[in-house]
Amino acid sequence: MPATGLDRRAFLRAAGLGALALSASACTGFATTGNGGMIFLSTQFRPVDEAEAFRSLLARTVSGVSYVTIEDGPFAGQVRSQIDAGSTQIGLLGGLHGDLAPLADGYLEDVTDVLAALGDRGWPAEYLELAKAGTDRSWYIPWANASYVLAAHADALQHLPSGVDANALTYDDFLDWAIAARRANGNRPMLGLPAGPEGLLHRFTQGYLLPSFTGGQITTFRSREAATAWEYLRELWANCSPTSTTYDFMQEPLETGEVGMAWDHVVRLVDAPERDPRNWRMLPSPRGPHGLGYMAVVAGLAIPKDSTDPDLARRTIDELSKPHTQVGLLRSNSFFPAVAAEIPQDLPPAIKLEADAVKRQQEAADSILSLPPVGLGTREGEVSKVFQDTFRSIVLDRADIRTTLDGQASVLQGILDDLKVPCWAPDPAAERCEVM
Amino acid sequence: MSTETRPAETTERTLPPVDTAPLRRRRRQAAWVQAACVAVTLFMALPIVLIGLSAISSRAALAEFPKPFLPSEYSFDTLLAFFEATGTVPALGNSVLAGIYTVFWSLVVGAPAGYALARHAFRGKDAYQVFILLVRALPIVVLSVPLATMFLRLDVYDTVFAVTLVHTTLALPTTVLITASIFVSVPTDLEEAAQVFGCTRWQAARKVVVPLALPGLAASSIFTFVLSWNEILGATVVTLGHRTLPAQVLTALDEASTAYRFAGGFALILPALVFIAVMRRYLVNMWGTTLR
Repeated sequence: MPATGLDRRAFLRAAGLGALALSASACTGFATTGNGGMIFLSTQFRPVDEAEAFRSLLARTVSGVSYVTIEDGPFAGQVRSQIDAGSTQIGLLGGLHGDLAPLADGYLEDVTDVLAALGDRGWPAEYLELAKAGTDRSWYIPWANASYVLAAHADALQHLPSGVDANALTYDDFLDWAIAARRANGNRPMLGLPAGPEGLLHRFTQGYLLPSFTGGQITTFRSREAATAWEYLRELWANCSPTSTTYDFMQEPLETGEVGMAWDHVVRLVDAPERDPRNWRMLPSPRGPHGLGYMAVVAGLAIPKDSTDPDLARRTIDELSKPHTQVGLLRSNSFFPAVAAEIPQDLPPAIKLEADAVKRQQEAADSILSLPPVGLGTREGEVSKVFQDTFRSIVLDRADIRTTLDGQASVLQGILDDLKVPCWAPDPAAERCEVM
Repeated sequence: MSTETRPAETTERTLPPVDTAPLRRRRRQAAWVQAACVAVTLFMALPIVLIGLSAISSRAALAEFPKPFLPSEYSFDTLLAFFEATGTVPALGNSVLAGIYTVFWSLVVGAPAGYALARHAFRGKDAYQVFILLVRALPIVVLSVPLATMFLRLDVYDTVFAVTLVHTTLALPTTVLITASIFVSVPTDLEEAAQVFGCTRWQAARKVVVPLALPGLAASSIFTFVLSWNEILGATVVTLGHRTLPAQVLTALDEASTAYRFAGGFALILPALVFIAVMRRYLVNMWGTTLR
């Protein structure tokens, strides 16, 4: 049939090729989950080495569970679209409070009975309250927690002003120390802060500096004491390595010796003392006029609606919240137990240093626990942005403190007005959170 | 001109001095071109070499400050740990599959569209050309959740096929536009001559136009492959247990320790380089204007 321009051979060849390609591309590909068991989707321990460390802990604890990591951005979308489409493919969820709480509106199973069945394992009351996400039922089981501390190399420690106890620093001591270290180092600052694009410096202002100076996080945002705190941060910044605006993880500049002392998330500090632990110390964060403000990051385990294997999910939760597994998690991933667990003495040196500092921080008589924003759901990032913008204007651009605080306070109030949520620690749990 | 001087000239004829200036200019130009080529090559290759060197440095060598150009100690530990991690090798396979399928489908769908754009004038052609680009105007973040929901309903969620569909869609605009400009540069006369000698339209296209357009098609397939190889978000959203390499391990690269960043970066670069090296022989030029 020359009219169509297709002889039979050519047609068959094309059709064969097409069919081959179609059948080949219809194949599902290779499984990347390892053992192909129930999928445990989590936003934690994403870097390859951390994920592998957790996978081996999981394999020792319970069988038939595949640990799959996902970024916190697509996490909620992934879970929602699966449940909305009526074909959930996930068995268990793991994430920070901020990842899980927004899903509590119908995408998570109520785990109040699971929590009751586990009995009292010594979860702090604050964490259990947090797991309710503002309702009267529990939506996840507290899994682990982490915090932020100071790390210092012996080179920097020797410049600590005499008569100052490194384990009980005040913010003034901290500043004096930074100044002394800078002077002794040929006017090159030795202090580093994680002010890079992925850095967590906003947690420092939110959970450490402001609560220590003002006793609150949101309500006192534009108080006179807050202005003093920002004034202080300006001075501290002047004694901070100018490359701090590029630091995301302080362990790297610490390890290479670019800076000698730094404040960061424990997981982001743990590699620094690894090679030479004897020359390192981890210190609790400083205290201000109102006490020692510190922030706890809580991770939780939740069961999605229509989980592929609810029984296995429950069993995994049970196993992962046993004290010895929790200590195993501390060993492998340096996240601290959420249940009451005896911290053994034979930990790896870097983790031992961190555990001591975190313990001192938590158990200080004047400690003020702060939480990352609670109940803001997807708008949590906007609150973080308020603190980042305030830092940028006041400290980097040297804008007027009072006007900046007033301006940012109204942005903050706008978000809180939209959401009508109660305040979270350390602010008093009023009916509706308001910037005073 | 006086006639007296002429005999003297003819008896003692001296050649004017050879003007070497044009030659020198040419040599100088050639040297500049060489220098520019070396500079561009260095600009492209140096980061790759540095990543490669860092990937095979030991952790201690990486932490040295200031850093020497050549690492003081070599070690394959990080690279090995990276490839031994759960799912890295299968994910590499998935990435290769997705890349090849995407190249295939985007050519099967995109090249005829490019041919039609090049050979036919039809109403709304300009609008159509702009409309094609619209896919790229929508960020994948906006598309991802509806896409995932749709794939779940169609039961193709979590497969390389789903990734291929997403990547093909993303690659089509560039494929259509590049192939259109390639087909434009194949003279219509050749195609008509083939038809005069008895080819049908289809045969003329297949036996005359496609071989001439091959370099351009190769170029567009490099584009497509690299796009599919580097795409993260779409692949993360439509898969769960059958991920591509970027979705499996490279999303977390910016928060991994330095050693793993280099290992991951190296793993990301290498296969794309191999693919480009293979396609290079088909690649005479990209835009088809001086087709050889």
